[in-house]
Amino acid sequence: MKRRGRGIACMWYPIGFTVSANPSAATVKVNEDGTATVLTGTVETGQGSLTVLGQIAAEALGIATDDVHVVSADTDTTPMDTGAIASRTTYVTGNAIWLAAEAAKAILFEAAAPILGVKVSQLEAKDRKIQVKNFPQRNVSIGEVAHRSQAVLGQPAIGSASWNPPTVAMDPDTGQGKPFATYVYATQIAEVDVDDETGEVEVLRIAAAHDCGTAINPMLVEGQVEGGISMGVGMALQEEMLFDADGRHINPNLTNYIMPTSLDMPEITVDIVQDFDPTGPFGAKGVGEPTAVPTAAAILNAIHDAVGVRVTSLPATSEKVLAAIKASRAVEQKQIPA
Amino acid sequence: MDDKTKVLEREQLDIESLRESEVDLRLPAVVPREPYPIETLAPDARQQTRAVGQRATRPDGRLHGLGQTRYIDDLSFPGMLHARIKRAGIASARIKSIDTSAAESMPGVMAVLTGKEIPTNSFGPSFQDQPVLVDDLVFHAGDGVAAVAAVTEQIANEALAKIVVEYEPLPAVLDPVAAMREDSPKVHAPDSNIYATKVIRKGDIEKGFAESDHIFEGRFSTQMIEHVSLEPHAAIADWDANGRLTVWATIGRITLARSDMARTLKLPMSRIRIIGTIVGGNFGGKNEITQEPALALLSKKTGRPVKGVFTRGEEFTSTTTRHPIVMDYKSGVANDGRIIARQIRLVLDGGAYCSWSETTLGKACILAPGPYKIDNVVAEAFVVYTNKTMTGAMRGFGAPQVCFAYESHMDDIAKALGKDPLEIRLLNAFDEGSPSPTGQVLHSVVVKESLRKAADRFGWEPRS
Repeated sequence: MKRRGRGIACMWYPIGFTVSANPSAATVKVNEDGTATVLTGTVETGQGSLTVLGQIAAEALGIATDDVHVVSADTDTTPMDTGAIASRTTYVTGNAIWLAAEAAKAILFEAAAPILGVKVSQLEAKDRKIQVKNFPQRNVSIGEVAHRSQAVLGQPAIGSASWNPPTVAMDPDTGQGKPFATYVYATQIAEVDVDDETGEVEVLRIAAAHDCGTAINPMLVEGQVEGGISMGVGMALQEEMLFDADGRHINPNLTNYIMPTSLDMPEITVDIVQDFDPTGPFGAKGVGEPTAVPTAAAILNAIHDAVGVRVTSLPATSEKVLAAIKASRAVEQKQIPA
Repeated sequence: MDDKTKVLEREQLDIESLRESEVDLRLPAVVPREPYPIETLAPDARQQTRAVGQRATRPDGRLHGLGQTRYIDDLSFPGMLHARIKRAGIASARIKSIDTSAAESMPGVMAVLTGKEIPTNSFGPSFQDQPVLVDDLVFHAGDGVAAVAAVTEQIANEALAKIVVEYEPLPAVLDPVAAMREDSPKVHAPDSNIYATKVIRKGDIEKGFAESDHIFEGRFSTQMIEHVSLEPHAAIADWDANGRLTVWATIGRITLARSDMARTLKLPMSRIRIIGTIVGGNFGGKNEITQEPALALLSKKTGRPVKGVFTRGEEFTSTTTRHPIVMDYKSGVANDGRIIARQIRLVLDGGAYCSWSETTLGKACILAPGPYKIDNVVAEAFVVYTNKTMTGAMRGFGAPQVCFAYESHMDDIAKALGKDPLEIRLLNAFDEGSPSPTGQVLHSVVVKESLRKAADRFGWEPRS
């Protein structure tokens, strides 16, 4: 008989390296037509980071995502970056790109101030224009300013910057310290059906609520959460590298190492928790790794809720769940008074 | 009668269509010319001038969808060779001899490389304990013992079979908890198998347990997992006539890759260029070099670009994986469900090499108490060498493992005290400004908001 259960798991996760420096550097070049090129040493590994980094540069310059081209991942041409690791790209590389864009923007403001007859501090970049704060009708297009700055004033609008998250070393005896600049938080709740005759677990749905500070691109956040949950499902129920008595891996193939497929995926709802981190670019933190953190815990708690057994070793394969159900029944039967 | 006619008609149609397809088969296969639109079909979100918060599409998505993205295996250079690596297939051994002569004399084989030819045969982000190709001792079955460059991948594979390696088997260490004992054989003798530790102490754990109304204990364990990225580890190395090396690689960290290449090849960094191609999935598995120094030296030997693409089997046996962790939890809890004290001991199976284990150890230890206000905490973590595939960075750096433990433990506590799982979490969860187990004052804390939001969305109701 199929028994339904629900399980909850929450988590916290840090952004960036543990204490050690993990800087990013970046260069932002504003072209003479007001579009921009970003140089970063990070690598697009499928998560959409270059899109998010382009959005950060665009926001800082008051232009659109489509106006920005991001060049990445070449040690000869792009500035150093600690790379696509530790959920750090949006937060650390994003901060470097934001600062570099601000530096380029400062050059544009220097060129625009005499045109608009105001001080630099009275300017803002918005809607592809440089305009006077509170007087948006007094404006000049960013392309015109960029062209003038480079071709007339001889000051191309190029900015470079670097950023490293501030941390405090941990005491070797007590671990006390500030190992990370910031953390994100999340909760996932899973609903499962457990067949108490076969031990088979089906994950029906997962409600995921994730904090990432400001969501620079909510669509990519949702994609990360859904991808993380698929890894979590595999960790909870299926995936395991097995070794023989001599230490040889016995299932190094996708026939015997079982990955979740679309048929194993539950219905997922993603909520982004409202948050703003003043230390991140436009309030952003990160989201990559944390999405895979609470899934297995939520599913295992749901199994416990469904059939009353606690599986304490992952993955909770059908065999393991069934053995636990049988063991608990054996105990129950023994407890029946004669 | 009608039915019979229909059947005959259908057969006739089938024959006709077969004839047509035969005609098609005789013709050269020409893909119909449908020019791609010159203008990118940019949705509105990419044109908005408040760029942040927009559901902007990815510029690379279009290329992926049209099959135009060039991954390493899509790249080819004139004269390019294909490399394959011979794997040890034995978990722990001393190499008595390697005979590559039969492989080297095969037509089409251009070069063979062994570990002794690598200028500095060790690398690693924390400890440089990993050889590019093993030269004396084998530390796990997926270790590479020799590399071959040939004109085709098939010839390279055939050459691997002709390389004869003689091993003297050594005892293999497989269980991380047993590996911690003094009398255990050492993976990297004479060093202890415990290669890194971390400890966090906050408050007074004994006093905390004494003040608690209930004590709960549990042991949890997790398995070894592979990232299984769609694209395997792949690279092309080109050592040009000026002695400058260019490497196209599926690496998420080109800065570290360049310093690892400079170390292993004893080259100045200015002579190395690393180009990170579009990576078909990383998840932590592509944060350091693997075969790249071997490909570079094969390119140097042959004067040709050399490509290496791991098989799915090598992805499992010869790249980093997720740490199995044995986790012991002991918690002191008040009658109302507040956690007063928590003691944790983690043993991480570090596999044959450190890789990102030190980082994983640290994060797992710091995060292990959970996102909860606990005044008295002791968390100790150990990472241990075993003769298995090395464990390293993988999405979460130990956090999914400890989350499984602290959240299972939390539900056991809730059940024993008759508390609702949501309620007991809201009671203990961090607030804005709460101190973490390392004494850090936390900001932008929204764990309770995430609990309430997920519960609302799920429709979580307390059960009586």
